[in-house]
Amino acid sequence: MISDVYYYFRRDLLKWLRGRIFVISALVMPAAWLIFVGVPLRPQFTNDYLSFITPGIMVMTMLFSSFQGGSLLIFDKVLGFMNKFLAMPSSRESILLGKISFITFRGLIQSTIILIIAALLGVGMPGPVQILLIYIVMGLFGILFSAIATTIALAVDDHDGYAAVNSMLSMPLFFASTALMPYSSMPPWLRVLASLNPVSYAIDATRDLFTGGIVFSGILELLAIGLIVMGISMYIFRKATI
Amino acid sequence: MTTAISTEGLTKYFKDLCAVDSVSLEVGNEIFGLLGPNGAGKSTIVKMLTTLLKPTKGKALVCGYDIEKNAFKVRESISYVPQEMALDIKLTGRENVELYAQLYHVPNRRDRVDEVIGLMDLSDRAGELVRGYSGGMRRRLELAQALVHEPKVLFLDEPTLGLDVGARKKIWDHIGSLKEKGMTIFMTTHYMDEADKYCDRVAIIDKGKIAAVDTPRRLKNELGQNIIIASVSGEYRPVDIEGIRLLGTDDHELRFIAEKGEEVLPIISGELTRQGLKVHSLSIRETTLDDVFLNKVTVQEDKTAFDGTKYRLMLRQR
Repeated sequence: MISDVYYYFRRDLLKWLRGRIFVISALVMPAAWLIFVGVPLRPQFTNDYLSFITPGIMVMTMLFSSFQGGSLLIFDKVLGFMNKFLAMPSSRESILLGKISFITFRGLIQSTIILIIAALLGVGMPGPVQILLIYIVMGLFGILFSAIATTIALAVDDHDGYAAVNSMLSMPLFFASTALMPYSSMPPWLRVLASLNPVSYAIDATRDLFTGGIVFSGILELLAIGLIVMGISMYIFRKATI
Repeated sequence: MTTAISTEGLTKYFKDLCAVDSVSLEVGNEIFGLLGPNGAGKSTIVKMLTTLLKPTKGKALVCGYDIEKNAFKVRESISYVPQEMALDIKLTGRENVELYAQLYHVPNRRDRVDEVIGLMDLSDRAGELVRGYSGGMRRRLELAQALVHEPKVLFLDEPTLGLDVGARKKIWDHIGSLKEKGMTIFMTTHYMDEADKYCDRVAIIDKGKIAAVDTPRRLKNELGQNIIIASVSGEYRPVDIEGIRLLGTDDHELRFIAEKGEEVLPIISGELTRQGLKVHSLSIRETTLDDVFLNKVTVQEDKTAFDGTKYRLMLRQR
């Protein structure tokens, strides 16, 4: 089972690395946020907006990359790969776990590049323990949302349908979070939405870690939600027909 | 003959629509072809036998294993090649086959991969990306993938669809040699001439039901040896002539079926003239599986939902 997950992971990885332009294109939007919004904008609540939104943009990179990752399964379905895989004795969960591990791995590489760009733009970096914890937050966040994206993709019929679901979910999740402003600057209704949004949990934890604190609350919250979502996703994949 | 596949009252409903209607079949070590118009339920039968769909009613055994209760064992014993040609074009031919060898946990992986690639005459191109492969090579690569774990039963959905004549011939030669090695091949096809030439037995499916199962030879003989086609002007009034049966009429064409075409030709010609019809031409040909097929199925306009095949063909270019 573990080896099957690796084989599926390796297939997607090889295809991605041979895609050339796609390896870079996913980084353009988060980099643009840092350079065109983070650097010039001077809001009232902080005099270093770039440092403020860097955790938000790292989590955004992970969020969009995870949702975009759902289309991998859509292509496997539409192109007939899924039929072949489902007729094999290897377990169906290993298809899900292979996608989750690849999408999360890819997201971590992309967030690392965003982190390096932020450092080059002058954002202060925290210590090694905090960096390690930030990667754990990112990893758990990626697992959570790539599980959601891949499971939605299993239920949706075609690429257009998935693109619609993707844009309907990813944008509101990003804007209704603490990515761009703190709770204190939000109107009460947005504060409620943002404090219920798991995207905020990841951003808040990352932001605390960036300022030198050592916190585990975000990790525990994401772990709890992640376990529930994984349980549901694995159940749905086990039952999968076509 | 050992039984590789047996079904009993296999039935599948999609909501209220009956796609497969109590199909009972016995398939041994042979090349077995499933023929039928679009939407007749061919692919649905294959998808149930390959454990991708659960039947609504009835049961089926593949290699002695129940497709519902023992799906895992069935999956170990079979391979399934769907019609879409699902290959990773950014991977090399060898990498494509390796993935299957890995997922099937094949022992002596490297040797086995080389062996099946060699078997499909792809050794000299195995290191290249599949992007550069022709349609026939891609289909052969899929067969290599399917063979890597030495399955007992091979399911093929339209294996020669969209290939040129040479590539089709080559695929059929490979399928034939697999059967000689003891593999059972269960396939669907639209090409009657290919089914006639290469299948040991065929089943004709119409509206989810089996209309006929037998060897192509016997199905043709059952219908009659020869088809006589008369091109005429005027109204033909059907009359009984011994040994001749009217098969169908089109605008200006009458089709008769008879055991001994040469002997009855003058009789038909005489009768047509007697009725005052102007005969433009008369011809005789051997009965083909096409005639059997058209005689067994209700020909109707293709009303099946668009299944995305075109979309897939388009995407395959990526």
